[in-house]
Amino acid sequence: MRSMVQTRKSEMIGAWLSVLASLIWLCGAAVIARVLGRLLMGDDVSAIAAGAALFLLWALRTATEAAAQRCLSQAAEAKITELRQEIVTREAASASASTLAGEGALAALVAEKLETLRPALLRYRPARLRVLVLPAVILCLTAWHSWAVAIVLLVAGPLIPVFMALVGWAAKEASARQMQEIGQLSDLLVDRLAALSDLQLLGAGKSTVETFARASDTLRQRTMAVLQIAFLSSTVLELFSALGVALVAIWVGFTLLGELNWGGWGVPLTPVAGVYLLLMAPEFFQPLRDLAAAWHDRAAVDAVMDELAAWRDEDRAKRLGHGATEPALSHTPSIAIQNLHHRGITYPNIRIEPGESLALEGVSGAGKTTLLRLIAGLEQPDRGTILIDGVALTEENANQWRASIGWMPQAPHFFNGSLRYNVGLGAPVSDDTLVAAGLETIIQDLPRGDLTRLGERGAGLSGGEGRRVTLARALHGAPRVLIADEPTADLDAETARRISDSLLQFTKDGGTLLVASHDTALINRLQKRVSIQRDTDAA
Amino acid sequence: MTDLIAIIYLIIRNERQALARGFALAFVVLVMGVALLALSGWFILATAAAGMAGIGILFNVFAPSAMVRFLALGRTAARYGERILTHDATLRAVSELRVSLLRGLLTRPYRALERLRANSELNRITADTDALDGALLRLVIPALAGSAAILITSLVLWWIVHPSVAAILAAGYLVLPTGVFCIGQGVAKSPARLAEAALQAGRSRMVDLLSGRDDLTVFGQLPRARDHTIHAFDKAAQSRRRLDQIERQTGMLMDMVTALVTSGCLMVGITLVQADVIETAQAAIGVFAALALGEAVAPVRRALSEIGKMTKAAARVRPALKAPDLAWDDPKPPLSGQGLEMYNTTFATQGKAMFKPISLSVAPGETVVLEGASGSGKSTVLLLAIGALVPAQGIVRALGCDPAQVSMDAMTRKAVLVTQRSALIAGTISDNLRLADPTASDAALWRALETVCLHKVLQNRGGLDLKLGPRGSGLSGGEARRLILARAILRRPDLLLLDEPTEGLDDATADLVMTGLRDALPNAAFLVAAHRQAERAQADGIVPVIRA
Repeated sequence: MRSMVQTRKSEMIGAWLSVLASLIWLCGAAVIARVLGRLLMGDDVSAIAAGAALFLLWALRTATEAAAQRCLSQAAEAKITELRQEIVTREAASASASTLAGEGALAALVAEKLETLRPALLRYRPARLRVLVLPAVILCLTAWHSWAVAIVLLVAGPLIPVFMALVGWAAKEASARQMQEIGQLSDLLVDRLAALSDLQLLGAGKSTVETFARASDTLRQRTMAVLQIAFLSSTVLELFSALGVALVAIWVGFTLLGELNWGGWGVPLTPVAGVYLLLMAPEFFQPLRDLAAAWHDRAAVDAVMDELAAWRDEDRAKRLGHGATEPALSHTPSIAIQNLHHRGITYPNIRIEPGESLALEGVSGAGKTTLLRLIAGLEQPDRGTILIDGVALTEENANQWRASIGWMPQAPHFFNGSLRYNVGLGAPVSDDTLVAAGLETIIQDLPRGDLTRLGERGAGLSGGEGRRVTLARALHGAPRVLIADEPTADLDAETARRISDSLLQFTKDGGTLLVASHDTALINRLQKRVSIQRDTDAA
Repeated sequence: MTDLIAIIYLIIRNERQALARGFALAFVVLVMGVALLALSGWFILATAAAGMAGIGILFNVFAPSAMVRFLALGRTAARYGERILTHDATLRAVSELRVSLLRGLLTRPYRALERLRANSELNRITADTDALDGALLRLVIPALAGSAAILITSLVLWWIVHPSVAAILAAGYLVLPTGVFCIGQGVAKSPARLAEAALQAGRSRMVDLLSGRDDLTVFGQLPRARDHTIHAFDKAAQSRRRLDQIERQTGMLMDMVTALVTSGCLMVGITLVQADVIETAQAAIGVFAALALGEAVAPVRRALSEIGKMTKAAARVRPALKAPDLAWDDPKPPLSGQGLEMYNTTFATQGKAMFKPISLSVAPGETVVLEGASGSGKSTVLLLAIGALVPAQGIVRALGCDPAQVSMDAMTRKAVLVTQRSALIAGTISDNLRLADPTASDAALWRALETVCLHKVLQNRGGLDLKLGPRGSGLSGGEARRLILARAILRRPDLLLLDEPTEGLDDATADLVMTGLRDALPNAAFLVAAHRQAERAQADGIVPVIRA
């Protein structure tokens, strides 16, 4: 990873090299002017020498420009990589989803939107430097031959930054709207695509397509609005540039004819100077045009940077520990919850001995799931402590604690991979685990067995089958404590009983079982029950 | 490459007029640019020659100077028009492409849809179509307009300067850039594809990381998943660097082509002037035209860096576009039959029957319950009934016809299947409900919510405007379940197929919801896959589904 200082440095070197390349071209133009002028006056000119001089100067300029771009693209790459790492790392460290953007929008930010920074990083700084240096140099060269031409350039030039400031302002707003729309379109799609099979069975296919068509068209309009501003600004610049060239050509022509006698320094204008003035005029405007183009890129950058700043400012809940594997506890610990208060809910004090089984009851939304998340260290409580073997759960011991847990969430996420991958998350899976979770008959029925890829919501599996996959995932690491959120929801009595059997077998083997459930059949089979209630101080 | 050509053809066909005008303007811009510089150069040298000869007074200055002004203004206007026209047409075509991709997805068989990975489809519909917008803007139009401008300029120079200057211009600007493009295209293909593939992999992994962060944390896989994501982006950066390098080299080569042609024109011009074949002013036209045409070949650089991405995107997008058209707005009258019958029906996977053949009959107003262990095939029976799956044996007649023979759209206009998964989307409650009926009034939405006992819950929480998060998060499992049932009611189906409709509800609410559904749709036939007493309570018949 390159350091910030190095990135800055290569950006500066790149910018100066690009200035140098433009200066070299001023010499190339002089060669053309001199050759044509002397040719006109009947002087002897060597064709070979003239061609070679022009070609070599041009090659030098090209090489310098290429070197400049090399430095600049390295700097741009480093900057984008740094931002990507920041986003991925922080998102991984946050305990819960961002409220600002959905998964689709964040993925779009980290992949596509950061890519839009590249053109600005490549172009903006060198263009700004060229604007500072080149017009001044060209103005001096021009004024040396003719004050009239210099005045034409001087008047047309400064108008441009004024105009650009106005355009840049409008462009930023339009870019921001466009960026927002890109994110929303991704969010809108990712949801509908994930649910597409179900939406179709509902007969909502057509309205889904229509909503999307509208959103897509809005994005098109927003993009077009941004482009219109960009095109308008570059058109105005081109107009200044073209008029500048035309005025210079006409003044030079008339002066050479002898029709105009003002605008010079009293000495007759030579054809060499005339051609040179003509070649200089577009070069005077070129850096300004480059800056205008880069200015527009910068508007896109500002929009992305604002979005990043909002994302950075968001106060995100932190989890305990970093979520890596560590050696698990060597025994089954006791768990105690003391004076726990989180997000407006006060939880009762609970003590769970090793090998006990406990049911958390309560109406939907009472905070059962949150309590399970707190116990697993997935969220930091506002107040109170969770004691594992009498030791408070902290940043330091959370990873070891989690290595001892089996986790069965109510709505699991199925990863982009095979069924076997979804059980072991990359680690080798023993067949015993699959048998213990009752997966073996399910695997036989799948088209590609345990290598069948799953949809995000476990599509291809029935509710009960999906639940068994999560059970297998929970049992996979030979945990000491099993935490299960509504393990029997969506299951028929027979399947629910078999899942419950597997859970109780786990306690018989010495593990602690913690379940949040509505299922009375399951609750009745557990040793202890605790009721969680919202809006009460202590139960 | 054939895929890319096919898609370019498709875009051109849809936006023929705008693109033809855009092309014409692009050509005009280039030609006017050449004319402006060449005319100015000629003007200065011709006036200088006239001035030196002392015949300045006879020189017609007004026509050329008016022409210079006209070219300056005309070129600017043409440029603006060209950009607006081509970009608007392309964006329109790309938006159209996106919508047809989504529409194409809906024609896929049910099982394929069910296994669809939203992330990769999202990539196809957004990133891939975006990659294709350059196909016309940065590949076809610049190539055609550039070649045409080079040819026309060469022809004119043949006539007004000298054939040798024209030959240098045409050969240098047509042959060399084409060669660079053909060779460079092969070299740039693989890094461009790798960069794109790695970026999309990074994107998919990012979504997996965000959606699965809890599970990953508990199982100690979070740092691995994070590094895996960063690794994909690093890979993208690596290929990107290589691509940048190729792009720089192409840029250098194109620059050197311009240098070569301009120097060549200068040398030939000097020789011809010294041999008294042409005037100096004519030689200047050649040099300035060569200088100005550098603009016509510059786009090769950008086209090269994008073509790899474009061909890959086209290869992914085109197959999805080949899907048959959906029979929406089918003029045929809706299905008029009633009820559901199955006779001796079963479904097979890999040649094995899934459950023992079942026979059942549901008349309008009746409720029949399917009973059986999880995985015995209850959900499959429902999918057979709506025609999402085709039976291995037996007969299915839903609403008087064989559902497998009728389009999914025609079927779902009168029949609705509510699956176990909660297919909710980010947006308000009314967004979610109106997926089923975009024209429903607020009052109708409230009535549907009341039927499933959700109106009181929602009244205190923002009503129809309550915002749900991605995939409907923000509602409890039971609330989400009821919202989905309310959505099904809005379709007012004649045949309602329900897969464990009251899961996550307490017994009392479950009873109320089932009664509410029946009251709302008194004449519909209900087929319910159930394992709860509340769902069985009002059954007119119970059919066991037994695993084979």
